[in-house]
Amino acid sequence: MIKKSKLLSAAVVATAALMASPSNADTMNTPNISAMSIMNGLENPWDMAFTSGGDMFYTEKCKGLSVKTSSGAVNALAGMKGSKGYASTNDDLFCSGQAGMMGVAVDPNFNKNRRIYVASTSDKYHGSGCKTNFEKCDGNIIMRMEVSKDFKSVSNRVDIVKDIQYKPFESNHPFGGPGAHNGNRLRFGPEGYLWATTGDRHRGVVPQSPKLLGGNVLRIDTDGKAHPGNKPPRGFDKRMYTYGHRNVQGIDFRPSDGRAFTAEHGPWQNDEITALVNGGNGGWDPRPNVGGRGDCPDKYCGYMPNQKEGMLPAKRAQFMPMSDTRFSDLMPPAWNNNGLSQGTGSAAFLKGSNWGYWEGRMAVGIMGIGFGGTPSGMRIDVVDIAKDGQSIKSVIHMPTGLTKRFRGLRLGPDGALYAAVDEGEIYKITATAK
Amino acid sequence: MKHLILGLVCLNFVVFGTNKVIAGDIKAGEARYAQNCGNCHGPAGMGLASYPKIKGKEVSYLIDRLNTYRAGTKIGPNSDLMIMMAQPLSDIEIANLAAYLNAQK
Repeated sequence: MIKKSKLLSAAVVATAALMASPSNADTMNTPNISAMSIMNGLENPWDMAFTSGGDMFYTEKCKGLSVKTSSGAVNALAGMKGSKGYASTNDDLFCSGQAGMMGVAVDPNFNKNRRIYVASTSDKYHGSGCKTNFEKCDGNIIMRMEVSKDFKSVSNRVDIVKDIQYKPFESNHPFGGPGAHNGNRLRFGPEGYLWATTGDRHRGVVPQSPKLLGGNVLRIDTDGKAHPGNKPPRGFDKRMYTYGHRNVQGIDFRPSDGRAFTAEHGPWQNDEITALVNGGNGGWDPRPNVGGRGDCPDKYCGYMPNQKEGMLPAKRAQFMPMSDTRFSDLMPPAWNNNGLSQGTGSAAFLKGSNWGYWEGRMAVGIMGIGFGGTPSGMRIDVVDIAKDGQSIKSVIHMPTGLTKRFRGLRLGPDGALYAAVDEGEIYKITATAK
Repeated sequence: MKHLILGLVCLNFVVFGTNKVIAGDIKAGEARYAQNCGNCHGPAGMGLASYPKIKGKEVSYLIDRLNTYRAGTKIGPNSDLMIMMAQPLSDIEIANLAAYLNAQK
């Protein structure tokens, strides 16, 4: 009798265990990934944007804007100063260090208005500024252009934002050359407004400044005017959706609720993914003599302490936090790359059933920066962000088979993920659900 | 007199040592390059983002630059990074890296 009862219990436990186990149908829904180079021989490709018909605009940081049409033709559209072979050139657009022609976005009504938007460094609006690193320097702009019907030229350039901050000279910092930290990723949000990221440009006062555009995420209309619903703190520039960032280069919108998320590059610690809050503060404040810090080289504490040698990232984070908790309006990060900085360069949510289990998750491109003992970690992460945006449920590496500096990610209208890498290529990464 | 001779011998060694050309090993240079350098300068020194192209440069130029960084001397905006990277390098590693990069066309 005892034996029978034990046997029965065992059977019940086994059945329950079987019922609780995931079925093959659940566990086998991880997509197959394949990556194929679709363009090579480019010079620092930075960003891509697609029309609904599959025409791909792309920027090269020191050359200009081009398009690869859905029929496969490649047309050089708008060159920068000194560029050759473009249908038109713009002598005010230049590149220096990290700066140059960067983000590109296609108007949601492109089929009717033929408009695209491009972020670039320009010397057109320097005016009386830009004489030193310690003053206002309007050197990053957002342009609107119209593309001809045959995709062979652009015209009617209008500069819709002219006063994003730029670093004109070298400073005493790692990566200290001119042109540092420009942000400059452009994306249209689900409500049809343009979102633009900006960087701190190695100037301590910029990210927490109410007036200087730098270290922000802007939400504007297609004329460059503030979205009427932006809620920055009183006295701040109304174009700001958020402020207090370091150098946001990844932004996209969660398909399930339209919420904006950024992927941000840390200094030598703490790359971050953050759910944006209207009017919120990213918590980056590299000013000297605040937050318990003293003077810093060239009035910028962003790489302190001990900016010339490797040290434990956690120690750096304690001294110079990416998300400083002394701010009551802080937007806490959902993820901080286990305390490391490896260079989160871009982000795109994965949409479509072809992505299987990963549908709705965020792909994050990591460029790979290995200093002070940090492994460089070039990869694309797939991040499952919690519904409230305050944490992540999991992060795994996308098995692309590639070890590249992933600079720009963009989902195409065909459901594939496109990746621009610093090595001069654009990849098409295809997912097939099982 | 003995001290003078010893002094001259030492001086000769130093001069000889600084001008000595160590023939670099391309294969060993490739392996050393893969450890750190490629993260910024890209495959075979092609140059990436704001990091300059260093492939195909003269051996003497490459050795001089790496020696300069190793000595902690700044040349250019990314000097702090290069000083950090160059300080652990031995003479032989510098020669190997220079040989490898010089061979990349």
